[in-house]
Amino acid sequence: MKRAMTLALAVTIGLLGLVLAQGRTVTLLWSGAITGPTSDVGGPYAAGIEDYCRYANEQRLIPNVTLNCIVRDDQYQNPNTQRILEEALDRSKPAIYLGYSTGAMLQLKPLIQEVKLPTIPASAHIGLIDPPNNQYFFLPVSSYSEQVVALMEYINRSEKNARIALVVNPSPFGRAVVDHARRAAQRLGQTIVDVREVGGGNLDNTALLRALDAAGAQYIIHQNVAGPVANILKDAKRLGLDRKIKQMGAVYTGGSDLIRLAGDAAEGYLWASSYYTLDENTPGIALQRQLATRYNRSADILNSTNYTAGMLAAAIAIEAMKRAAQRFSGRIDNDTVYQSIIGMNGPNAFKPGFAVSTKAGIEIDFTRSEQTGAEGLRVLEVRGGKFVPITDPFTSALFRQVRNP
Amino acid sequence: MDLAQNLISGVAVGCIYALAALGFVLIYKSSRVINFANGQLIAIGAFLAYALAVWVGLPVLLAMLLAMLLTAGLGFLVERFFLRRLVGQPIISVIMVTIGLASVLDGLMYLTPFGSGNFTFPQFLPPGGLNLGGVSISYPQLLAIGFTVVFLLIFGWFFQRSILGIAMRAVADDQMASMSLGVSVEKVFALAWAVAGLAAASAGIVVGAVSGLNQDGLIAIGLAVFPAVILGGLDSVPGAVVGGIVIGILQSLSTAYLDGLLAQVGLVGGGSQYAVPFVVLLIMLWFKPHGLFGTEEIERV
Repeated sequence: MKRAMTLALAVTIGLLGLVLAQGRTVTLLWSGAITGPTSDVGGPYAAGIEDYCRYANEQRLIPNVTLNCIVRDDQYQNPNTQRILEEALDRSKPAIYLGYSTGAMLQLKPLIQEVKLPTIPASAHIGLIDPPNNQYFFLPVSSYSEQVVALMEYINRSEKNARIALVVNPSPFGRAVVDHARRAAQRLGQTIVDVREVGGGNLDNTALLRALDAAGAQYIIHQNVAGPVANILKDAKRLGLDRKIKQMGAVYTGGSDLIRLAGDAAEGYLWASSYYTLDENTPGIALQRQLATRYNRSADILNSTNYTAGMLAAAIAIEAMKRAAQRFSGRIDNDTVYQSIIGMNGPNAFKPGFAVSTKAGIEIDFTRSEQTGAEGLRVLEVRGGKFVPITDPFTSALFRQVRNP
Repeated sequence: MDLAQNLISGVAVGCIYALAALGFVLIYKSSRVINFANGQLIAIGAFLAYALAVWVGLPVLLAMLLAMLLTAGLGFLVERFFLRRLVGQPIISVIMVTIGLASVLDGLMYLTPFGSGNFTFPQFLPPGGLNLGGVSISYPQLLAIGFTVVFLLIFGWFFQRSILGIAMRAVADDQMASMSLGVSVEKVFALAWAVAGLAAASAGIVVGAVSGLNQDGLIAIGLAVFPAVILGGLDSVPGAVVGGIVIGILQSLSTAYLDGLLAQVGLVGGGSQYAVPFVVLLIMLWFKPHGLFGTEEIERV
């Protein structure tokens, strides 16, 4: 009996020690399209979050805190996203939410505002950080609208009064850029000759391309995912229109997927992106390589910019939690994480090395009113089967004017 | 010249729809069952071809041929295990099974590496396409037209001349009467599903060659053919081809001409190609409820 009691006591003390050594558990939630539409983006994005979380726990990035990173597949279905979020709010009370699709995020804005949940979405729709109910949203990188306006500014550097066609995804994600692009064109003296919506399953784009050519388009700017853009690039090359119309697009149009799908037809495609490429030597990209090897990720995942994007989102979230713990005596909750995010500026800006820095050397910064993290972006071009930067990092001055005319 | 180009492009896309529609029609023709898992068969066929070509390392054309046969085998097994027990049961029960089957196949594919991401076949066709007097057509599109012509000829002969084909038509007409005359309804159904699998795989392979392999994109093609099969007539093989081509041409022409007109009246964004087939379908069904080539059924009281 005595021996049993001693054993029980020893086990209890051991377990207590284990719990104390592990510290508290704090939850980070992500839900997005690991399967279903846009899973070509969501799959690597989720992998980036998972791997960074695992790394953060292994390295004890937040002392005495174990991260409970919940990564759920919502299959790009808004009802699933809402159910997953509500379930997590009830059961695990996430300190921060990493969201995904434009539609779901726009739909969940009022709920997120109500529960005061800091949210870092994969979607860079400007409407998420525009009022109302925008207080708790933070975009990791520049918005789609800013990317498109930046491309228009880039065009303006070499060609005045350009004639541009917009080809966008038939969804809030695609349509996000249209109004800002129109306003920017007006200020730059450019003409938006046509706006077309093209989704997946665009098996032939001959009619589209001929119509845009007939309308005098010199440039096509895409706001889409890689699949539809690749099909348009291949058809343009077949029709000989690749020499006549220059094509370019915002962040989710480009990357390794586009090159794989479009092959040679991707040559010359311009891409606005805030992220470093895998060929660059930065701390973030080095970590990406290291984690992909350590966690046995495929070459496709490693090469994907969306893997980088997922890691950046997780890095911002975990850094905010870490700062919350330091600043608020170990308290990591929605309020302290929010305070940490809006304090991430000036000398406290965050520099993980996943995204380009502005001239001031700032990579990621947020304030209460400036809810975009990496404001710098570059234009990259496909050359020899690779995206290579052809500009220095810049921010679109014009975008700030057209955002609030 | 633009009109000729748009017509040719429409025919090429229409042939892809026709290929996807053939499996649909074959099953309906023999069993009066609308197969809602058609898109999943298309996706499985395409992914099998990819897996055999890239993972196993077979020559692409051999991989495609094997994938078509394997998908035919899958169609056969589906009929054997899920649908055979439902012979003689209400059609709605069978249709519900195909909806459930679609969900199960979807879920199983999500568990594979194909559940997420884009894939491309190793290059097996020359890049670019043919240019005939200013009219351009890509090689994958030519492949689609070739497949469609071959299938149309084979199925035309099969249903008109072969005993098995005539038995299939008999079963479609009256299951009980066919059984009483010694026709094996089970065999006919199994054959219909196997051939539907073959046609679905060919559609998946062509779509993969044209625009890469993506699970949702491939499944969506299976559903996009609804207007084509209804337009052509649910039980008509030539109808599926004509319906597919008509829909392809309508989409091409609406993108070329209607979107521009809509923009002039303030409806920017285009996308009329997604709506026009359904509008035409509705109008046509007022006049021909059984489709262009569908069998008109007259019930006598």
